[in-house]
Amino acid sequence: MRRTVRAAVAGMAATLLIAGCSGQSLEGKEDTSNGAAGEQITLKVNFWGDMGLDALKAKYEKDHPNIKIVLNTGEFNAQHEDLQKKLVAGSGAPDISAVDEGFIVQFRNQADKFVNLLDKGGADFESKYLDWKWKASMSADGKQIGLGTDVGGLAMCYRSDLFEKAGLPKDRDAVSKLWTNWDDFINVGKQYTAKTGKKFIDSGTNMFNPVLAQQPVGFYDEQEQLQMNGGPKVAFDVSMKAIDAGISANLASFQPNWNQGFKKDQFAVLACPAWMLGHIQETAPDQKGKWDIAAIPGGGGNWGGSWWTIPSQGKNVDAAAEFVKWMVQPEQQIEVFKTVGNLPSQPALYKDPAVLDYKKEFMSDAPTGQIFAATAESLKPQYLGKKNGPTRVAVENVITRVQQGGLKSDAAWAEAVKQAEKVAKTGKA
Amino acid sequence: MSLTELRPASHRQVPPPGPGKTKHWLYRFDTKTIPYVFISPFFILFAIFGIFPLIFNGVVALRNWRLDDPTLTGWAGFANFERLLTDEDFWNALGNTFGIFILSSVPQLLAALIIANLLNRRLRGTTFWRIGILLPYLTPVVASTLVFAIFFARDNGLANWFLSLVGFGQETPLDWRAQKWSAWIAIATMVNWKWIGYNALLYLSAMQSIPKDVYEAAAVDGAGPWRQLWQITVPMIQPVVVFTVILSTIGGLQLFNEPMMFDENPQSASGGSDGQFQTIAQLIYKVGWKDLDLGYAASMSWALFLIILVVAGINFALTRRIGGGR
Repeated sequence: MRRTVRAAVAGMAATLLIAGCSGQSLEGKEDTSNGAAGEQITLKVNFWGDMGLDALKAKYEKDHPNIKIVLNTGEFNAQHEDLQKKLVAGSGAPDISAVDEGFIVQFRNQADKFVNLLDKGGADFESKYLDWKWKASMSADGKQIGLGTDVGGLAMCYRSDLFEKAGLPKDRDAVSKLWTNWDDFINVGKQYTAKTGKKFIDSGTNMFNPVLAQQPVGFYDEQEQLQMNGGPKVAFDVSMKAIDAGISANLASFQPNWNQGFKKDQFAVLACPAWMLGHIQETAPDQKGKWDIAAIPGGGGNWGGSWWTIPSQGKNVDAAAEFVKWMVQPEQQIEVFKTVGNLPSQPALYKDPAVLDYKKEFMSDAPTGQIFAATAESLKPQYLGKKNGPTRVAVENVITRVQQGGLKSDAAWAEAVKQAEKVAKTGKA
Repeated sequence: MSLTELRPASHRQVPPPGPGKTKHWLYRFDTKTIPYVFISPFFILFAIFGIFPLIFNGVVALRNWRLDDPTLTGWAGFANFERLLTDEDFWNALGNTFGIFILSSVPQLLAALIIANLLNRRLRGTTFWRIGILLPYLTPVVASTLVFAIFFARDNGLANWFLSLVGFGQETPLDWRAQKWSAWIAIATMVNWKWIGYNALLYLSAMQSIPKDVYEAAAVDGAGPWRQLWQITVPMIQPVVVFTVILSTIGGLQLFNEPMMFDENPQSASGGSDGQFQTIAQLIYKVGWKDLDLGYAASMSWALFLIILVVAGINFALTRRIGGGR
């Protein structure tokens, strides 16, 4: 009897073990065969978060009965990494993939692995786009690998309920007047923290990034030379000042602690590109009406925004190009703006009443169309170098070290320069 | 095991030629070749998924292959390996890997030994305990690491709460990720939690094959339980000890998931803000897929492979000596 029980338990354990091992199943391959005319075509679209495609998919499939669209959303970084790996492997990439600003440089350097949209009638779109948006996805030898979806713009989201409790103005115009520059902003933060005992901003890195976005030159100039003493220095000093003032909650963005910080009121303001609205809405749905949007200190800037690209290894690149061109038409762009808040990258739409008159209910009925359109249009875009991404991570890590107390703020700049130079130097063999 | 018994010892008794050549050939095929056919799937798969990547990796290690700069291609010779020698990041990662490896392997195997020894006695509900210690091993590593990442959180973390109970860190809670020592301890804890039970079960199965009369004789001679453990049990399960030491060496030096998921910003793969807990496997991933330098990453993997071979060899020699002493 004992023996049978034991055998049964051991058997169960073995089964569990096997089950545990087989947890990682092989990735299902999408059936994208047969591109012949009139036959069923499946288009797989990779992106992250919610890009407002559900309604578009239904509409397009209805008008094109032979096309089936498979939406595959995933984690932001994982999707880009997956695309890179499939490009190297030469197969397995989706028919259409979204690429973010932070990665577009990486992919436009591999333009031969993408469909050149100029060959697919993409040239007609050049005049419709913001000039810098059009150029950012263009390779050095003049191939266009993507059509722009959205731009970030930049504003400051704030918790009007927490502001009121701290004795600060609540109204968005009055709040905008509180901070015309970043020093004012830090002073408001100090008042807030003194009054409530709570932190004001989420993290020093989320001061660094928007301030850097406002500078004419970012980490690299157009000759790919590292320019730490220009924009990065300004942005770094602001973030150090904020950390020294004790107004930062020191939470790393987009991580579980940060998401929890929303719910626990651990910070009262957040630098806000247009796409951030969707994230707030998703993370803290019960804070509807508690958030509002004011102007950001120091003027306009851009943070993020994406493109639709078509890897050339796909079997149905023509059908994919048709779908992409349809997605960036004004009608669809406005629909996306209304569902998730992503701001279109075609300036004609900034004058469209559908955008201008739009009020975001979740953000206390703020006129998000007006606010973001104004920042996006007046903006002088920055050149993003090839190593922009890794350099940003290196400098952000230095800021995090200061927040963790492992590094003094007066020694931090030298360290930041050292780390950035290290990144800039790698691979220049 | 029994496959070796299938050795065609009997082919000499082939019936004298008569029934025809085909049958004879078939018979020879059946006895001589079929065993190899049966074991070949493993070796074929191993060649495809084990040997080929190893060789391909070696080739890539000797080349320039940068995804962010496709113009830079061609043979690099040993330039990638030379670069390794002076790369601070590499040595930092190597130090972290060994630090975490020692903090995890040594307590892990000792604890496994002691637990196995306890489980080897007559207990109530033996099976329950034996299966129970295996449960952490069955938990997917990503799930358990995520839970541990929250456990070791700076704000509202359970670990800091325990510390505050004994009077530490009420004012400024410990940021586990900020210093090397605390990050190493946290990661080693995750590894230990997962693998102690697995190793204990291996030891236990070996212990059960030790005849009881050896212990009885030792008890008559006046050896206590502790002495029995070290002078009878350990030498007699020595092959299994060697096996677990080598296995945990390989696992420890390839540590990836735990430090990756423990990071506040996992996507940077930098193992903390200052590389406090960046392991080599993590650095390889970062160099390959974040810095997009596949050639250099490949040379790092080869270096790691060699390091593992050397360390596993040393550990093998050491454990043989400790266990045997003969």
